[in-house]
Amino acid sequence: MSGSFKYGVSTYSYVNDYGSVMALEDAFDHIADAGATGIEIMGEAQVEGYPDPTSAWVDEWYRLLDAYKLEPTNMCSWIETRTTLKHSLTVEEGAAELERDLQLAHRLGFKFLRPKFGVLSHDLEPEPQWEAYAERNLDLAHKYGIVICPEIHAPTPIRHSVVDGYIKFIERTGTKNFGLMIDTGIFQDRPLEHWGSHQITEEMRRNKHMAFLNGIRVNPEEFLDIAQYVVFIQAKFHDINDALEDQQIPWKPVISAIKRSGYSGYLSSEYEGLRSPWRSIDQVRRQHVLLRQLERDFDQGLFK
Amino acid sequence: MLEHQLIQSSGFRNLGPAGARTGFAFRIRVPNYHGTRLSHFDGADVTVDGEFFGHERNRFAIRNEIYTLEELREETKARWGMFEWGAVIVDKPGGLAPGIHKLEVCARTRYSYFPPDVHIFPMRAARLATIVMP
Repeated sequence: MSGSFKYGVSTYSYVNDYGSVMALEDAFDHIADAGATGIEIMGEAQVEGYPDPTSAWVDEWYRLLDAYKLEPTNMCSWIETRTTLKHSLTVEEGAAELERDLQLAHRLGFKFLRPKFGVLSHDLEPEPQWEAYAERNLDLAHKYGIVICPEIHAPTPIRHSVVDGYIKFIERTGTKNFGLMIDTGIFQDRPLEHWGSHQITEEMRRNKHMAFLNGIRVNPEEFLDIAQYVVFIQAKFHDINDALEDQQIPWKPVISAIKRSGYSGYLSSEYEGLRSPWRSIDQVRRQHVLLRQLERDFDQGLFK
Repeated sequence: MLEHQLIQSSGFRNLGPAGARTGFAFRIRVPNYHGTRLSHFDGADVTVDGEFFGHERNRFAIRNEIYTLEELREETKARWGMFEWGAVIVDKPGGLAPGIHKLEVCARTRYSYFPPDVHIFPMRAARLATIVMP
């Protein structure tokens, strides 16, 4: 039984544009006009006065949601372990950071919160305190109906101890308020031309730690192995050409696997291609056409 | 609204008493895709017309405060948002002559979620910028 997707856009797509050629209402306009029903934000980017916006700002947030008919989907947050060069967060401090972001997410109507934890390695193994931060906040997340969902993001593949660790936590606690977020960048199977604002050089490609720039090519079928724990998908992409072909992400097998899993949550666009002014806006529109077409074709049995 | 690029056009100016300039300053956007505590910004290396000024020597101003690098590194309360510029302050006796200068910056951002050996991530930008007043 295949699921039915919801379409959203993350304001991460508009990085560099946001704050220079785009303000909050513009982002709402672009997202709504792409046919999306959900808006994903980065707390400490879109929320003016983070972590304590004024009530006037919060009123404006709700006015925009209403005017553009968007629902809040996921809020991205960070638990920056090394707050200073001399001090790393204690368990209490880290749990308090997560709690503060849960409170803000709740205040703004979000149903998902993606914390990014500090990491120990090039595989992005999270610092072990993540488990205590999360466990101490499960009751609050439950009270607010928010699912805390760390990301599985390149260069971490699905078959990895990072993913196993999160799944073990979910199984051990039995919680409904912690799940996995998948960033579709893990399925990238062709090299990037740009990384953010930078043209990728041969020197960068030769650096062993930058191998992920060429794509870590996770087999989309592996999504089915962990789908029961997946609560949100960030539809990462970089470049869709004028023939509507994605130059890096093999959407057909990716969409096929996600559909077959029964996933009926959000595909939230994350454009991460060349950051020339305004390029993101039309790239997001292209991605939405492409994904909707694939979903329609799959539903009509045109591919499996 | 800020300019798209890291180094802003306005704000590039001489500092100190007229005729006895102590240095110069220029404005940058937050060198990150989200706001952060100031302690996550580890200063900036500056090169102007080929002359290098290391991040340890440069100061930073945001809103009404000026920070040395030592102070910046400990500042966990104040934050830098997407719509705000910060100014990098460079000491250079005599300041810069009016006219067009080549300005290069390497902004140093600390990311706990990048692998430890790239914890301090450099964001580089270069542009021609204009000093108006001597």
